[in-house]
Amino acid sequence: MPTEHIKVDALVVGGGIAGMQTALDLGDQGYQVALVERQSSIGGKMIDLSKVFPTLDCCSCITTPKMSATAHHDNINLLTYSEIESINRNGNGFTVQVTKKPRYVREDDCTGCRSCELVCPLEVSEDEHEFGRTSHRIVYVPFSTAVPQKAVVDIDNCIFCGKCIQACPSDAIDFTQQPEPVEIETRSIVLATGFETTPIDAKKEYGAGKLRNVISGMMMERLLAPTGPYGRVLRPSDGKMPASIAYVQCAGSRDQTLGVTYCSRVCCMYAIKQAMLLSGALPLAEITIYYMDIRTFGKGYEQFYQNAKAMGVEFLKGKVARITEDADQNPIVRVELIDEFGKTRVTERQHDLVVLSVGLLPGGNPQAKFGVPVGEDGFIQVPDYNVFPAVTSQPGIFVTGTALGPMDIVDSIMMAGAAASATASYLESSNGSGKEAQSQPERSVEYA
Amino acid sequence: MPEENVNKQAQAGQNPKDEEPRIGVYVCNCGGNIGDVVKCDMVAQTLGKLPNVTVAHSNMFMCSDPGQKMIADDIKEKGINRVVIGACSIFLHEQTFRRTLERAGLNPYLYYHVGLREQVSWVHHGTPKEATEKSIRMMAAGIAKARNMKPLEPVRLPAHRHALVIGGGVAGLRSALDLARRGLQVTLVEKSHYLGGRMAQWERVFPTNEEARPLLKRLIDQVLAEPNITIHTGAQVAGAKGYVGNYTVTIRQQPRGVRGTFPNEQGVMDVCPIKQRCEFNYGLSTRKAIYRPYKECVPEGLVIDWEHCTKCGECVQVAPEGMINLEEEAHEFTVEVGAVVLATGFQPYEPFYGEMGWKEYPEVITLPQLHRLLDDEGPSDGKFYWNGHPVRNVALIHCVGSRQVEGVHRAQMDGEVNNYCSRVCCTASLSMASLIRQKAPDAKIYEIYEDIRAYGRWHEDYYTRASKNNVTFLRYYAEEIPEVRRADEKAENPLLVKVRDHLTWGEEIEIPVDLVVLSVGMMPNPVQDLMEIFKVTPGSDRFLLEVHPKLRPVETAVNGVVLAGTAQGPMNIQESCAAASAAAAKVSALIEQAKVELEPYVAHVDPDQCQGSGECVKVCPQEEAIELKTFSENGRTFQRAVVTPANCNGCGVCVSVCPNRALDVQGWRLDEYEAMVEAIAADIPAWEGAA
Amino acid sequence: MSTETENRSAKILLLATLSGGYRGADMVGQGHMDYPPNTYILPVMSAAIFPPKFYIDAFNKGFDAITVMYSGTDSPYKGESEKTAEIINETYGKMKELNLDPRRLRLAAICTVCVRPFLEEVQRAEKLLEEIGSVPRPLTKPQAVPAQPAGTQGGIFHAN
Ligand SMILES: Cc1cc2nc3c(=O)[nH]c(=O)nc-3n(C[C@H](O)[C@H](O)[C@H](O)COP(=O)(O)OP(=O)(O)OC[C@H]3O[C@@H](n4cnc5c(N)ncnc54)[C@H](O)[C@@H]3O)c2cc1C
Ligand SMILES: Cc1cc2nc3c(=O)[nH]c(=O)nc-3n(C[C@H](O)[C@H](O)[C@H](O)COP(=O)(O)OP(=O)(O)OC[C@H]3O[C@@H](n4cnc5c(N)ncnc54)[C@H](O)[C@@H]3O)c2cc1C
Ligand code: SF4
Ligand code: SF4
Repeated sequence: MPTEHIKVDALVVGGGIAGMQTALDLGDQGYQVALVERQSSIGGKMIDLSKVFPTLDCCSCITTPKMSATAHHDNINLLTYSEIESINRNGNGFTVQVTKKPRYVREDDCTGCRSCELVCPLEVSEDEHEFGRTSHRIVYVPFSTAVPQKAVVDIDNCIFCGKCIQACPSDAIDFTQQPEPVEIETRSIVLATGFETTPIDAKKEYGAGKLRNVISGMMMERLLAPTGPYGRVLRPSDGKMPASIAYVQCAGSRDQTLGVTYCSRVCCMYAIKQAMLLSGALPLAEITIYYMDIRTFGKGYEQFYQNAKAMGVEFLKGKVARITEDADQNPIVRVELIDEFGKTRVTERQHDLVVLSVGLLPGGNPQAKFGVPVGEDGFIQVPDYNVFPAVTSQPGIFVTGTALGPMDIVDSIMMAGAAASATASYLESSNGSGKEAQSQPERSVEYA
Repeated sequence: MPEENVNKQAQAGQNPKDEEPRIGVYVCNCGGNIGDVVKCDMVAQTLGKLPNVTVAHSNMFMCSDPGQKMIADDIKEKGINRVVIGACSIFLHEQTFRRTLERAGLNPYLYYHVGLREQVSWVHHGTPKEATEKSIRMMAAGIAKARNMKPLEPVRLPAHRHALVIGGGVAGLRSALDLARRGLQVTLVEKSHYLGGRMAQWERVFPTNEEARPLLKRLIDQVLAEPNITIHTGAQVAGAKGYVGNYTVTIRQQPRGVRGTFPNEQGVMDVCPIKQRCEFNYGLSTRKAIYRPYKECVPEGLVIDWEHCTKCGECVQVAPEGMINLEEEAHEFTVEVGAVVLATGFQPYEPFYGEMGWKEYPEVITLPQLHRLLDDEGPSDGKFYWNGHPVRNVALIHCVGSRQVEGVHRAQMDGEVNNYCSRVCCTASLSMASLIRQKAPDAKIYEIYEDIRAYGRWHEDYYTRASKNNVTFLRYYAEEIPEVRRADEKAENPLLVKVRDHLTWGEEIEIPVDLVVLSVGMMPNPVQDLMEIFKVTPGSDRFLLEVHPKLRPVETAVNGVVLAGTAQGPMNIQESCAAASAAAAKVSALIEQAKVELEPYVAHVDPDQCQGSGECVKVCPQEEAIELKTFSENGRTFQRAVVTPANCNGCGVCVSVCPNRALDVQGWRLDEYEAMVEAIAADIPAWEGAA
Repeated sequence: MSTETENRSAKILLLATLSGGYRGADMVGQGHMDYPPNTYILPVMSAAIFPPKFYIDAFNKGFDAITVMYSGTDSPYKGESEKTAEIINETYGKMKELNLDPRRLRLAAICTVCVRPFLEEVQRAEKLLEEIGSVPRPLTKPQAVPAQPAGTQGGIFHAN
């Protein structure tokens, strides 16, 4: 198997909003960039969201243009569905071994027409994008705004009936595809490996994922998204429109018992956002947010919170101790209203649907592969957090977005700019021996 | 005149020899995705009959290499000079085909893309005949547009590889450093006489607990080591001309009055008879009219406070010869820059008289003052003393000047309350609570808050630590402002804070304290002058406004003017540095190539049609994008609209109001649309299967 | 242009912004959702470029309903949405003078994933045309309207 060689100035690992923006900010400055994303499309978590706070503009409207700008950029080489295998320091730069996982669909030939999807006889119900709430065929284009718009075969579930091969107008299906090794020679690396959300079953007090009508904030995003599974908000157990919805804040954050002591920073705002969207989608529903502190700290965020209050969303200060359910699977929330002097007042309230405002956990396990230290919280640790937040202790390796700790989209985009700038500074410095490579800006793709 | 040149540049793409359109038309089957519904062959055949269509093909996959080669060959061999393709979505392959044209030597804007898959075959499967007819009409529209299309060039402007950074706080310093390291020249203008901004005043910084000034000093040293950075302190922007890539900025620098440093600086300050409130210590101490802003300030050395100096000459007497010049004058100079970074920072909210006892009782101070008080280099050498007594009971009241509610809080001069959260004060207060605990292990500390917003990485640790440190938390609602009043004369503690605490079911509590600290929020530094000079606007919170909080968070609506740090809104140091660095990335991308390249989709005036009505100038939402200029020709003077492409964003508002049809947005001209509308509605040539 | 209107099928013009409605229309296509083919979508950068005359001319040339699918407040252009709304309002005035049902022209904010709103707009226009039929061409003014000063007039087409 010939190894594809790519020579770039910077390798960006992770194609969420932070990674895309870093790649764009570097590419716009004339640097050659390779962006490696392990999923079959770029976009990260952001593409799954419904609308985004605080502007409430449609998330796809903001993400899709960034995704296509990334894909079409002259200076960005996009490798999706690819895993980083190893990294070796090589002089001032790095040699990175990457494996392009087989899609079983030739990327160059696939036009994203989905003819294959229409004929595939099998469905599996674990579309990551829909969070287990809908299904996809075995061969499928990840989602309608995926970049690249290329199908991928879920080979483990495939029965090789061959229908897709017949249906594909461009003969793109290829079951013989093998993993393809790619070697990237780069002068710098930016880690944009992002986050994961607290698993829904993390807390046994909250039903350990067994209560049907207790869902996560991310699932609610999908329910609210125009591209979501039902196109409206229905509760899982019986498809009923919920008339009373509760949010449990800090579900997985600021919680010693889970070992997550930090605040996840976005969940207050996304809960409020969802509450506002819900009051639009279900005008009669009552919405309660159980919280410890409402942390609407960003630009325009406090005003957003006040608007939600004015719209009638109920905010109740108290720690939710436990969630159970009644015979009709209605969740019952037990709240301890907190008292400084040791007293607690406990109430129980029944709702139709409970949303856990799950927190952000470190994703992508960057320390293992990239040798960058992480803090107690599991996010990447940097030596000069205040002034040089994007610069890791490994020369030539930078970090951005939620890989550095929970942050929202605005802060991720800012951090992306910061990482691009730090990388550019490094590339231009003697360590990065920048000038030399600038004189050969062409990307060289050679086959060994 | 530079404007004229710019305008000519923009039009350079217009074809001099109006060549006859030779249109190549291509219909993609998309492997049946289009072809199964739309009879692509028929579409191509029918369109081939239209005037100016030189070739018309259908193909299985236009985007494939053979498909693209077909286009390139037609361009080279058959002299095709316009291309219209009907294929999948414009968002998937428009760029692909534009590049095909470019590679074949044709201007990439002589291309029009018709979406036949997402917008025809996939939505009209049941009606293949109608879908085919629709395809013909849509393609005919594209052909009609193609006949009128003109080659376009991106607007290219020469740019100075030089950036101006306004504000020498941590954000401005960080921007300057990144820009310089990227190889750009940087001029940094700082209004005060020292670098570092507010950060220099903090005793320590969360979330790392580092000492602020050494941390700052490390950054300043790196900035000073950059040969590309020129720093002017005591300087402000007095005016600017130009636009992106090409600004001429006038800077006015106040004299320092003192040249360099010398050994007996203290002696010099001692003889000065004028005493002033020390701003650095927020009035907790005094300084002379000749003073040093703070101990390790950069640039080091004394400065003269001209506003209060009486020129008595006492200092000149004791200073070494020639070191002090009381007659030094302000001077002005200009710099030519390609882009501007606004990093003008914030000022702490100033409570009004009597607001929670402010100024009414000397025992009420602000959080910035507390920082100075607890600082080893501060006015009380870091001892937690007030009025000569150790402080035993202290209350920190959060959200003073932030999260205000209309009708409850007193509005600012502009009639608005500060309804935003200042983001740093919660953690800053908690961090001070820790420090107080260190300095006064037995003190009673109360944090009176609305919500504790310890949102950032490691911020929550301060909250938990405070709880462990026996800090008492009381929660109030914005509508019930805590009251601070004088205690009985005989009382042990001079003040009482009355608060309705919502952690204990709204019980009203009165706490006796020695000191009240108001955790004041942030307000932007007043930069009205800069807003006028650079045409940037503030948001409703008075901070400078970004174009789009998500898509373009550090850019302003003015191309070439970007924001860094707290000038844009409350931020902590890490966030200010990230923003500053992001601003540097934008500026680098913009001017690093010594030229600015902008989309050609800007307004264009047809000088033959323009009658100088000025309607366009009235409606244009951009600053200085279009203006009327007086010309004279053969003794006749007249006015014509002139576009400055660098300032035009192509919104086309002017196009709709021009009474003379003299305006168009290049690439999206009105006559093209008229031709398209006509083509869709017109009778189309008969095609097989139509009947 | 032919003046007989009876046999022509009604045509709907959709002017859709590239940052909004045009992407929305693509999304509808990706969902393979059917709508009638007498709809013609033209991409626009900014919907504010069209003067009232453009709309009137389009009605005169053969379109029976026009929907401007702009990006509303999500517009990347400062001032686009306000100006577009203003122009549409002005056009309503001119349509009235010509006895054109104002419902034939509509301004709708459609975003990139507005699948349902897009389809609703199309259906609304179709239903309207079923109800009121094609534009009777050529358009005529019911009575003389006082002439506006030359130059500032949006400019009504010349009937015959
Ligand atoms: C429920 C919910 C709602 C939210 N709502 C909002 C909102 O309204 N507004 C807002 O501003 N923010 C919101 N956020 C926050 C927002 O989602 C994040 O700020 C943003 O997505 C962070 O982007 P990122 O690029 O850092 O990470 P991610 O989106 O996680 O991207 C990381 C990418 O890296 C890839 N990756 C990881 N490891 C590797 C590897 N080793 N090799 C290759 N690729 C790898 C991943 O597959 C992923 O694509 C919300 C978050 C949640 C959970
Ligand atoms: C009480 C308090 C405690 C804080 N503690 C912490 C902490 O512990 N950790 C943390 O991370 N953050 C802390 N912060 C926040 C931190 O101070 C800011 O994030 C940081 O100072 C912002 O830097 P800046 O450069 O944006 O603004 P500034 O520091 O305000 O700098 C702006 C600079 O611009 C100059 N300037 C203004 N106008 C002009 C003009 N027209 N022309 C030229 N120059 C001009 C000013 O003189 C100033 O030097 C605290 C804030 C407060 C109020
Ligand atoms: S953002 Fe709000 S919900 Fe999330 S962890 Fe922080 S305080 Fe809790
Ligand atoms: S950070 Fe805390 S103290 Fe400051 S305004 Fe926000 S909530 Fe109030």
